[in-house]
Parts: sequence; structure tokens; C-alpha cells
Amino acid sequence: MHIPDGYLDPISAGVTWAVMLAYGYYAYRRSELQKYMELAISLAAAIFVAQMLNWPIPGGTSLHMVGGALAAILLGPFVAFFVLLLVLLVQTLVFHDGGITTLGANVINMGVVAPLTGYAVYKVLRPRVGVFWSAFAAGWASITVAGIAAGLEIGLSPWFPYGWTISVPVMAGWHALLGLVEGAITGFVALYLSKRAPEYVRL
Amino acid sequence: MTRRFLILLIALALISPIFGVWLANLINYHEPLDVAADLINQAANRTVLNDTRYRMNWTPFIDYTVPGLPDWAGYIVSAFIGLAIYFLLYTALVRWRHVKRTG
Repeated sequence: MHIPDGYLDPISAGVTWAVMLAYGYYAYRRSELQKYMELAISLAAAIFVAQMLNWPIPGGTSLHMVGGALAAILLGPFVAFFVLLLVLLVQTLVFHDGGITTLGANVINMGVVAPLTGYAVYKVLRPRVGVFWSAFAAGWASITVAGIAAGLEIGLSPWFPYGWTISVPVMAGWHALLGLVEGAITGFVALYLSKRAPEYVRL
Repeated sequence: MTRRFLILLIALALISPIFGVWLANLINYHEPLDVAADLINQAANRTVLNDTRYRMNWTPFIDYTVPGLPDWAGYIVSAFIGLAIYFLLYTALVRWRHVKRTG
């Protein structure tokens, strides 16, 4: 999911950075970040280390958690933006996992699209199917839609000559599969916390 | 951060190379995005998507490695470097709040 440097042209990189900054300002105004800051940093630490646990699948790829939906269920989509921003900043600056020019796109996919999708799905399904399955669907949808967003960004960049009709199905297909594990982890963690520590579940 | 939460983070960091290094090497792991890029480059018969990560690098810890350490140890140290950054941030914030409250 982490787009490296070299995949986006300067204009796409600039636009995605601008969107990230504008959304960040909006999220800051909309969230009570000060109130949830300590929880947000703790969750960022947990998601950072959880993302290091790659679950390899035969065929040469792997699944790892992104955590956008879980952060949104626990802290709301706007604080979740800052959680994922903190994760991505450390990954990019210290470990070069994801590029600097593509940081805006990566934050949009994992810190904006994934939490907003997860939040919406969870909110709609929660009264109907219970915590586990609504969180499962939220996790799955968050990764699939974030994968589509990444496909769009790569496909719309002029450096990619085939356009989004090629890049979107490739990314969507992969991530719909990866989303199953994200869904399972999101479901189990949300269920566990809602039973053992409901004060941490805002939604 | 409660004691149990910290123990969980440390446990995850310690077992992380089992997944991130050992199993990954076993199946010749690549990021899903890299797999997609390879497919696209193959279909085009030239380099369309070009990862410039190794040509423009700014950190000794690239891809969760530590110079001079085997991959598995570097992965654990990397996890702790990341956790230390969040821990420092957390401590600074809690202390700052405390100073602000007590004047």
C-alpha cells in the first residue's frame, strides 16, 4: 500500500500533498485532538508495530494490517487521520517505507480514505449485525477502497501511460483479498475492546 | 500507556522478524504494490513504474534494517527505534500537560 518515490509525477505529488495538508487542517478543527492525544500516540505505536507483522501468502506477497478502520472505530475518523499520519511519518522518514514525494498520497489512502470508509461502514452496520461483523466489514472495505484510491493516484499520474482503467482493477483486486485479514483483525480487536475496555471505543 | 499495553507492544516487536523476515524470505515476499508494478512493467516490456527508493535514500535504517546487523536483529531493533520515538512523544506530551496544569 505504501507508494514509493518515483511512482508519482511532481504535479500529482504536489496535489496530493496539498490535499493532505488541507484535510489535516480540517481534521484538526473537527477533532478533539488535544483530548485524545495520548490515546492517539499509543494507538500509533501499536499500529506501527502491527504493520511490521507481514503475513506472507504463497505466491510472493503478503498481508499486513493498515489499521485505518480500527483507528476510526476507536477514535473517530478525524483523530484517526493523525494516528495514521504519525505512523506514516516514522515509516517514511526513519525506515524509507513509502516516499517523501508520495507521502501525501499515502496519507490520503491510509489516513483519510481508509478511516472514513471504515467509519461509515461500521456506523451503518453496527446496529444491524453487531460489533464483530460490522468491524470486519469496515476493515475489509477500508483496505479495498484505499487500494482503489492508490490505483487511481498511480493511474492518473502522467508517468503511468496506461491510465486508471489498468491500475485500479489491479490494485482493487489485490486489496480486496488483503482486506479479509484486515477485517478479521479489526473485528477481533474491536470485539475484545468493546467487551474488556469499552471506554476506548468511541463509536 | 498501561503496563499490559507496553508488554504487548514489546512482545509484538520481538516476534516481528518471524513474519517480517523469516516467513517473508521463505516465500520470497514482495509488497503487493511491488508485485503489481512488476506485472505492469512485464506487460509493457519496459520500466514504467520505477521505484527510486535505493537511489535516493536518506536513512541508514532503510526497509527496517540496521547496518552491520543480520536482518532479523535489524528488524527487532527497527521496531524498538519506532516504539522509542512514540514513547518519547508520549512522555513529552504527558510532561508538557503536567507542566501546563501545575504551572
